[in-house]
Amino acid sequence: MAQSPTTLVDELGIALNNLADAATGTFTPTLRLGVTGLSRAGKTIFITALVHNLLTGGRLPGFTPMAEGRFIGARLAEYPDAAIPRFAYEQHLAALTGKTPNWPESTRRISQLRLTLKYQSNNWFSGFTGHSSLNLDIVDYPGEWLLDLPLLTMSFAEWSAQALERAQRHGAEAKPFLDVLGGINPQGEASDMAAEALAGAFTQYLRASREDGRALSSLPPGRFLLPGDLEGSPALTFAPLPAIGQPIRSSSLYAMLERRYEAYKDLVVRPFFRDHFVRLDRQIVLVDMLRALNAGPDAVGDLETALTDVLGCFRQGSSNGLSRLVSRRIDRILFAATKADHLHHTSHDRLEAILNRLLANASRRARFAGAETRSLAIAAIRATREGSIDEQREKLNVIIGTPMAGERMGKTTYDGKSEIALFPGDLPEKPESVFQDGKVTLNFLRFEPPRDLSHNAEGAVVLPHIRFDRALDFLIGDWLK
Amino acid sequence: MKEPVARTITPDTKADETLRTPRAYEAEAVDDGAETEADPFAPESALDDIFSPPKRPNIFARIFWIATGILVTMGLGLAHDMLLRDLFAIDEYLGWFGVGVVALFCVGLLGLIVREIMAVRRLRNLDDIKAQAIEISRSKIAIEGRRLLREIDAIYAHRPDLARARQTMKDNRDALFDGDTIIEFAERTLMASLDERAKALTAASAGRVALVTAVSPRALIDLAFVAYESVRLAGAIAALYGARPGVLGYWRLAGSVLGHLAVTGGLALTDGLMEQVIGQSSLARFSVPLGQGLVNGLMTVRVGIAAMRVVRPLPFAALKQPMVRDFIPGLGKVTVEQARGYKTARRK
Repeated sequence: MAQSPTTLVDELGIALNNLADAATGTFTPTLRLGVTGLSRAGKTIFITALVHNLLTGGRLPGFTPMAEGRFIGARLAEYPDAAIPRFAYEQHLAALTGKTPNWPESTRRISQLRLTLKYQSNNWFSGFTGHSSLNLDIVDYPGEWLLDLPLLTMSFAEWSAQALERAQRHGAEAKPFLDVLGGINPQGEASDMAAEALAGAFTQYLRASREDGRALSSLPPGRFLLPGDLEGSPALTFAPLPAIGQPIRSSSLYAMLERRYEAYKDLVVRPFFRDHFVRLDRQIVLVDMLRALNAGPDAVGDLETALTDVLGCFRQGSSNGLSRLVSRRIDRILFAATKADHLHHTSHDRLEAILNRLLANASRRARFAGAETRSLAIAAIRATREGSIDEQREKLNVIIGTPMAGERMGKTTYDGKSEIALFPGDLPEKPESVFQDGKVTLNFLRFEPPRDLSHNAEGAVVLPHIRFDRALDFLIGDWLK
Repeated sequence: MKEPVARTITPDTKADETLRTPRAYEAEAVDDGAETEADPFAPESALDDIFSPPKRPNIFARIFWIATGILVTMGLGLAHDMLLRDLFAIDEYLGWFGVGVVALFCVGLLGLIVREIMAVRRLRNLDDIKAQAIEISRSKIAIEGRRLLREIDAIYAHRPDLARARQTMKDNRDALFDGDTIIEFAERTLMASLDERAKALTAASAGRVALVTAVSPRALIDLAFVAYESVRLAGAIAALYGARPGVLGYWRLAGSVLGHLAVTGGLALTDGLMEQVIGQSSLARFSVPLGQGLVNGLMTVRVGIAAMRVVRPLPFAALKQPMVRDFIPGLGKVTVEQARGYKTARRK
């Protein structure tokens, strides 16, 4: 039976926190934006672009408050939670816009940011109140941790069954772990040595399958890959075990690992979930479709499962002023296929169709709960230009950019310096085809960040983007009415 | 399905940034299959967007007008011919002078005709742009949207008052990737200031009409004034949106505006009837001429709104269409001030 992801005590705390927020937010309301995405989906880039565009009044023609001239400005404010580091916006921006621009490193720890937005409301009473403000809270975190959320609803036995089934499918990478597992008797006396050996092998397997890049998503627990200061603690020293029928002795290895699994959930996953994901108002789900499409139907299937599981943990539904006092719900979800600049804009509608197919279950569930959903192909920072090329009397829509060093196309490996025109292949018209073997030939390359960006009148860099303004409009535009 | 392709760019193969023409896009879409077929379930454009273009007259009417034209031309030619003969008969120099004047007359006539044709074309062009904008909002094809943006830009190219808006549009054009967003953006950027000015023109015109109606001694006078103001207002609004109608253009414009008023029953859709009825009856109780003034003023407002809807090159989507009720406070103020003046005048 699926467990509730939170305990009764958690629920009480959440309700109290919401009440406190409602009290302090009477004059300056707070909007919590959940930026959700697996690792390498583009969360950090999205947040950096969001902060930069709002701070500098970037080029956002589709963002209604800005288009109507009601957006006055934004500034970085102090985040109320003093225990969490600040999102390193300045560093990320510097890396992106420096002399040799590069994409930020993979996020390794949690960070947060609060933006205060000032705008002129177009309510009839705005003439009395003057400018209004809105706090926008954003959290950035390693995408691997997100995969832990479904664990909250699973028992040790359920998780073990799932993880072992997957390990058997992966074959080669999982072999060392399965060998270690084969030499261990779960009913035997608990020993730290055995647990450590098992956990070590399991971690190796997770790491290997991440390096491989094929199975890019569904590999919890996330902290095994990014342990932080919990490294070596008992809560991170467990592994899946095959189910055993007999009554389980409390001194057996199985019982010990089960206790540790529960401890992992209590100490690591639940606080993360409770503090950052329960009280969201808006959510953007960033999905790197292109990487999955590159890797093939298995990866696409994996991605679908992982996203559906993860999104099942969020609280979605419509909310009104009264219910918001004690319980916050996500009333708008944007599904965004990121890195849309890696293909020509005439293919974007097909990309959106594939995304819709991939997230059909999740979005149906959200809409049933009363949340509004939309899907868009976006690029928070646009790294390519578009053009066309005549190839054997056939006109191809190409994108022009500099592929990252080490990217491969056919027999050519790129050095990260030469600019090329790429036609990555047609996306299928029927989204279903991406789940079937041998139907689709695609090759998306990763590109270097854009160079020689233009500057606005105040000297701030203008970040080019694709539909980022519409995404923003959908996510926060109606709060700035 | 095409295979992936990558090419290193050498200067000669480097594709330039100009986007393909719409034709090329269609050709490619045809390769892909049924996608380009018109969607049989696509909704028809809304009723209030249809301004039935002036119907072509029937065959007899056409024969009649063509024959009349030929007769008039022949008559004119004959008259000129006779005149010149007579002039030459009187004196040769006078004859040559006459020839010069006739030549000038022809040049003037030709110029007028060309101007009229241009004016009618401009009006048609606006109509055409609007139809395309509605289509693009539905199909969301970005390339079409950008092309339409260039067309709109060309209409306002000679307008100094829109220089800034045009620059904003140019700066942001390439950051937009959906046809509907492009149209919406153009409306917000270019149309917003024009709408405000059209509203101001309408309000001023309605105020004048209300005033004249209230003080005019004869019903015929205010009728004539309403007609004059309406034509002037429609022309001013058309010029504001970039049509600059000539005489024939005025004729067409008046036809479209009247047609529009007939379709919408003189009321913009979603406009409340209530405020108007209440306002009119209470004022009429106060003083009959003032009530009349308000009625005629509101009529002018409707003409203004109809003219806006007819000549505005983009449909009202992102911005709200002005409604009759927006003008009532201003109009009421004009009439109430008159009422005060009227009362004091009577007391004396």
